[in-house]
Amino acid sequence: MSYDICIVGSGAGASPIAHQLAQAGAKVLVLEKGPWLTEKEFFKDELTISIHDAYNPKLSDEQHVIEEEYLDENDKPFWQGEKTSDSGWSWWNGNVVGGSSNFMSGYFHRLKPIDFRLKSEFGAINGANVADWPISYDELEPYYAKVEREVGVSGRVVEHPHQEPRSTDFPYPPIAELPMSSWIDKAAKKIGYHAIPVPRAILSEPAMGRRSCEYSGYCSSYGCASGAKGSGRAALLNHAVATGNCTIKANAKVYKIATDKDGKITAVHYYNSVGRKKSVNAKIYVVACQAVETSRLLLASSGEKFPQGLANNNGQVGKNLLFSGGGTGQGDFNFADLPEQKVNELKQVGPFINRALQDWYQISDNSFTGANKKGQAKGGTIDFLFHQNPIARARGTQWGLSKSGDEQLLWGEDLKQSLKTEFTSYKTLRFEVFNDWLPTDDCFVSLDNEVTDQWGDPVAKVRIGYHDHDLEVGEYLSKKAEKLLEALGAKNVSSSVSGYPSTNLMAGGCRFGNDPKTSVLNKNCQAHEVDNLYVTDGSFMPTGGSVPYTFTIYANAFRVADKIEAHWLTLQS
Amino acid sequence: MPTLTSFFDKNYQTPEFIKNKKTQQNRRHFLKSAAGMGALASLPTFNLSAKTQTSLTELIKTDPWLTLDATLEQLLPSSATGPSASEIRATAYLYQVMTVQPTEQDEKEFILKGVGWLNGYANSEKSANFVQLSFSDKEQLLRGISQSTAGRNWLNTLLGYIFQAMLAPESYGGNPDGIGYQWLEHQAGFPLPEEGQRYFELPTRARIDLISRVDYDNKQKKSTDQHLVKIRKKSPQGTRKS
Repeated sequence: MSYDICIVGSGAGASPIAHQLAQAGAKVLVLEKGPWLTEKEFFKDELTISIHDAYNPKLSDEQHVIEEEYLDENDKPFWQGEKTSDSGWSWWNGNVVGGSSNFMSGYFHRLKPIDFRLKSEFGAINGANVADWPISYDELEPYYAKVEREVGVSGRVVEHPHQEPRSTDFPYPPIAELPMSSWIDKAAKKIGYHAIPVPRAILSEPAMGRRSCEYSGYCSSYGCASGAKGSGRAALLNHAVATGNCTIKANAKVYKIATDKDGKITAVHYYNSVGRKKSVNAKIYVVACQAVETSRLLLASSGEKFPQGLANNNGQVGKNLLFSGGGTGQGDFNFADLPEQKVNELKQVGPFINRALQDWYQISDNSFTGANKKGQAKGGTIDFLFHQNPIARARGTQWGLSKSGDEQLLWGEDLKQSLKTEFTSYKTLRFEVFNDWLPTDDCFVSLDNEVTDQWGDPVAKVRIGYHDHDLEVGEYLSKKAEKLLEALGAKNVSSSVSGYPSTNLMAGGCRFGNDPKTSVLNKNCQAHEVDNLYVTDGSFMPTGGSVPYTFTIYANAFRVADKIEAHWLTLQS
Repeated sequence: MPTLTSFFDKNYQTPEFIKNKKTQQNRRHFLKSAAGMGALASLPTFNLSAKTQTSLTELIKTDPWLTLDATLEQLLPSSATGPSASEIRATAYLYQVMTVQPTEQDEKEFILKGVGWLNGYANSEKSANFVQLSFSDKEQLLRGISQSTAGRNWLNTLLGYIFQAMLAPESYGGNPDGIGYQWLEHQAGFPLPEEGQRYFELPTRARIDLISRVDYDNKQKKSTDQHLVKIRKKSPQGTRKS
């Protein structure tokens, strides 16, 4: 069967295309590698989510090779790959219909106008491939508003030094908050910070056939059983299917996009649920498998006209991969130091903290010693959260110190006491710092020459070099966040910033731009070299901004959906 | 590699599954694992009965479950301060780990081997099996084996499952009526999975094996040839650039 639109992937980059094009009357096919689960198959089960990672492939079946930089005996750097089946470091983020959006936290901060023109604003940075976007914030703004409506974003606009322009208010009121939220507000005010409510892609009231949040206390990294979380599946694909124009083929693993001698796409090839090779045609093809796998698919799709992979005659596919810079930090509230009422407030579970700091989204501080000598730099966002997973929390309580100071195993009464103390004497408030991961020549996707997946196809090899500037910004922001924890009266305040990539926050690899020599896609996210190929996940981003990517991926995909619809209509006539 | 006979065997090397778990917990741990699976290559002393109809009460009358049950109870004994191994149904949980959950064979064998090693040690030190000993003798023996790497790994593996028995949803076999949650004042999320909805029972992507044998064999052959001509990569000798 032939379709109008064939989409590879079903997450935040794919689902807006399916939703908009199916509503416009196009026949849409979505090919998703993973199974099609519903609300009935998501549970607050730590064993499923974190201990056994059950919504992702086994690393022995499908994996990645991660290249890190090492120093040899003479301090000479070299890159060495390691299979994730050896390291245990999974790079999968939810291989199910709706993709990783099923498991996101749903912090829906918009990018700000400055994110679209980093190079113009701050100049070049040595060792980084910073580039302005070919579109401005103004072009994306209506689509942020559209996501807020269609996907459902709850929030509250407040006056803020770095508030981005908005055409509309939030369509849904904020979700319920914990007492900690007002603690943060007060402490922030005291030290001159501006704590802002975090917009969340979680429905605060029932809408669009979905229930509202039920405040189970387990949200980030868990699938949503109420439908309140705005996953691509719950918010968009269900509606796309309801039009009668959208077919979702789950358990369909695409391995190649074939082209003829003129470079025209002839078919998408995939393994179906029983492993048979199948192929399908469409008028327009859309790839959105999350950054690493999108680059992998294009690189694997070589043809007569594309010997280095589809749309890759300029060698740009896979390059300038992005993660999120930053780190994490924490501080403890010891119950013994606090009045009973405060302790009871701390112990509440269910609602959200929903507070962020963006006071340093743009750093203007002479004491900042970043790349720009005048203390001007792109900064970032700080979000606050509590962790819930109890088995993870218990781990470690079995270790104590012997009289001679050696680490020893505890059991019996010692273990009981250790567990009880861990769980009932304090609570840890955590923060996450998000800042730009500068694009560099040392961060890219290629195909591994040796390691294959269970079907015998080469896996993606990811080089994960980072720019030192990312660490400097991360440290700067972490210190600011630590100051807030101290103002809150937290003890054992600490933070950790590293150059390791956040594997759940990835973008880049198929930059969009006006110059076909230096970018893979044009400003409409259409391949420069292939008219009927679009890439609509986070791959298009030349720089990533300093917020989690999902909101911007959604917004851009809605923007591109309009371009694809116009394109499709011209093919109709 | 010779067959290991006790926790104190010098040839013992920490099994792969323990290293992998550590790696997954740290997620950022990149040390190459040393060779050493031979250490666990011999067959376990005990065979597991996967017959679910066999009741646990019957099973714990004989080894390995007799000793495992006693060890878990020693690790989390009955007292006024908090629930014991039997109250959190640690043995029932471990039984599911060994028979129902898709646990790695190496790990299951290691747990069973430890039973043999513990009783071997108990017999050499106290001339009796572990379960027959007094509380303080048991304590002394566990302290003794915890001085060895193998013993520490074995006890730590069991402690890890005690945590899961205490804090995983009840459908996995432990934590009756959320006794662990109540004791540690932890509010569980909802919905929790019932039997039939546990991590290994969720619909996964259908296992896709290539249907065409020719295709598959060709691919295998090709990749083997590639391996032959390529020099095997060395593992990182240096330190990660920080």
